[in-house]
Amino acid sequence: MRTSPKHKLSKSAIKAWRISTLIFMLFLFLVPLTLWMYSYFGDGQLSLWLIIAITVLLVVVAALVILFVPEVRWQRWSYQVDKHEVDLQSGIFIITRTLVPIKRVQHVDTRQGPILRSYGLADVTISTAATTHRIPALNEETAEQMRDQISKFARLAKEDV
Amino acid sequence: MSEPQRQHPVAALTKALDVIRGNFITILILLFIGGGDEDILLAYWILGMAVILLVWGVVSWYRFSFQVAEGELRIEQGVFVRKKLYLTSDRIQVIDISAGVIQRLFGLVAVEIKTAGSSSKEAKISALTRQEAETLKAQLRRVINQAEGAEPRGREGEAGERIEETEPRKSYAIAPRDLLIAATTSGRMGVALSLVGAGFSQIDQVVSDERMVRFIENNIPQSTSASLIVLSITAVLVISWVFSFLSALIAYYDFKVEVREKELVISQGLFERTQLTVPFNRIQAVQIKEELMRQPFGYASLVIESAGYGESEGNSTTLFPLIKREKMYDFLEEVLPEYNVAIEGEDDHAPPLRALRRYLLRMLWWSLPFILIFWAIFPSYGLYGLVLLVPALLLGYQQYRDAAIRTEDHTIVLRARLLSKRTAIVKKYRMQATTLKQNPFQSRLQLRDFTLHVASGNQGRSFTVRDLDEGDAGRFWAWMLHEPLSASGGKKRSPGDNGNDAESLSFSEDT
Repeated sequence: MRTSPKHKLSKSAIKAWRISTLIFMLFLFLVPLTLWMYSYFGDGQLSLWLIIAITVLLVVVAALVILFVPEVRWQRWSYQVDKHEVDLQSGIFIITRTLVPIKRVQHVDTRQGPILRSYGLADVTISTAATTHRIPALNEETAEQMRDQISKFARLAKEDV
Repeated sequence: MSEPQRQHPVAALTKALDVIRGNFITILILLFIGGGDEDILLAYWILGMAVILLVWGVVSWYRFSFQVAEGELRIEQGVFVRKKLYLTSDRIQVIDISAGVIQRLFGLVAVEIKTAGSSSKEAKISALTRQEAETLKAQLRRVINQAEGAEPRGREGEAGERIEETEPRKSYAIAPRDLLIAATTSGRMGVALSLVGAGFSQIDQVVSDERMVRFIENNIPQSTSASLIVLSITAVLVISWVFSFLSALIAYYDFKVEVREKELVISQGLFERTQLTVPFNRIQAVQIKEELMRQPFGYASLVIESAGYGESEGNSTTLFPLIKREKMYDFLEEVLPEYNVAIEGEDDHAPPLRALRRYLLRMLWWSLPFILIFWAIFPSYGLYGLVLLVPALLLGYQQYRDAAIRTEDHTIVLRARLLSKRTAIVKKYRMQATTLKQNPFQSRLQLRDFTLHVASGNQGRSFTVRDLDEGDAGRFWAWMLHEPLSASGGKKRSPGDNGNDAESLSFSEDT
């Protein structure tokens, strides 16, 4: 087994991920909120303590998820691209290592949501006839450079045949 | 090149039926709303709708035309919104000729043209005479062959090529006895079971409980509730087996594989005869399935994965529904010689002994919910539920025994079992990506799951072998990069290339 891929994601990925997780978590808080509204405006059957307990639990989980998960995720993510292959490693508990021959790449694109854009980051998506692989949160320039490189390599590799 | 052409007028009828099929629920709802209580009104509604549908069908038949021109299939259709669909030759992958019940009544066929990456049904010509269909197919095929550069451009003799197209080199049909065996042991039981189960649960709503109990008591004098349960379970099983038997029989009736110059033609079906054309160069992988009920008798079925068509069976197509294991190699040699490789051998890489406990534990977790459910339903017999562990653990052990992976020249063979044993044969140049997975438990035991992805239909298909030794898994993971990747062979990469990092990307991630 060869060693892990060389390159890491951009450090600011952690911040961007924290914000997107935070937004997701905020949606989860709608659950106790609805419960509270239900018991307040409707005929209050639910005990207030239950709602508070759910809320507290959510706060704790959210704090853990927001603080630690992006950090670990960043640490586990690495990638390497050369003219023969794309080599990716990721995963928080389950470590996934993926290898894509450059020749199989059908198209590459970069994507950028509002959060990533505000941190100057972009995702690179690599598609083959069967699979789609995403390298998340790279620097904008790195992402664009990589997109162009992969598509060039893929073209060269195919001409080679 | 041809003039714009209309379909056979019967297309109006099939169109109307298609609309009914597509909007079945809506029509039911409409019927209930419109019908109300009075039967006559309901009849008017049905009649009115039938007329509207027929008119719609006729108009859309009138507005539908197709032609082959400049290497394109051009279809124009649409009653209010005109749609023009131009399929360029090199995009066309599969041409299916089939005949449904309606088409058969009038001696017609339907032609479906499928392209890569689109599951749209728009390129369907639903009624043509057989002859017209063959002409269309020949026209398109010629164009395809040209586009793929398989035939020298410019001066191909039209007549010569036609003959080549229509004359199969070899053809295999399923023997009646094998068809019966295939139907008897078909794995469609599960689907049928859920259908029958759903049917049974609907009975409750139609027939009241009381009436049913009275009916049963009258007919089966000494029924206790226990024997009633056993009886109804048996009934469900028998009925679903009959369903699965019949559906397999209808589906595989007169199954035939023809080997042609550049493609396989698979035709099958009793009422609805479908013909499927799979060009050889679209085949991505071959799977040998040994179902639980067939394996003891030495039977297997063959399935091919191909890119660009197929929707119902997860984008894979049955190549042959039932074949003796010994005859399989001969069959593959004749039909797909490329895929005739030994599927077992001394150089098998199987999961190491330390992986066995993971296989067993996995089945233990799976059977646990069933045991608990059993316990919950029959609290006093709860311990008997543990008997379930025996088949579960045996299955786990068998899964461990069957899992293996091997390579031969440019072919990789993966064996794994869930319930049925599946052997996947994949060419190196068809592998799209490989993945290794390792969870913390596997990490402690130095094991990894190996997954291989191939293209199939619109998405892909993946084959996994679990809990391989880390080193083995790693070697197979990188195996597809070694040596030539292409079908055309020839070492394009010199060994020194590997170390040449001049062209490799070097990114700096400074923040």
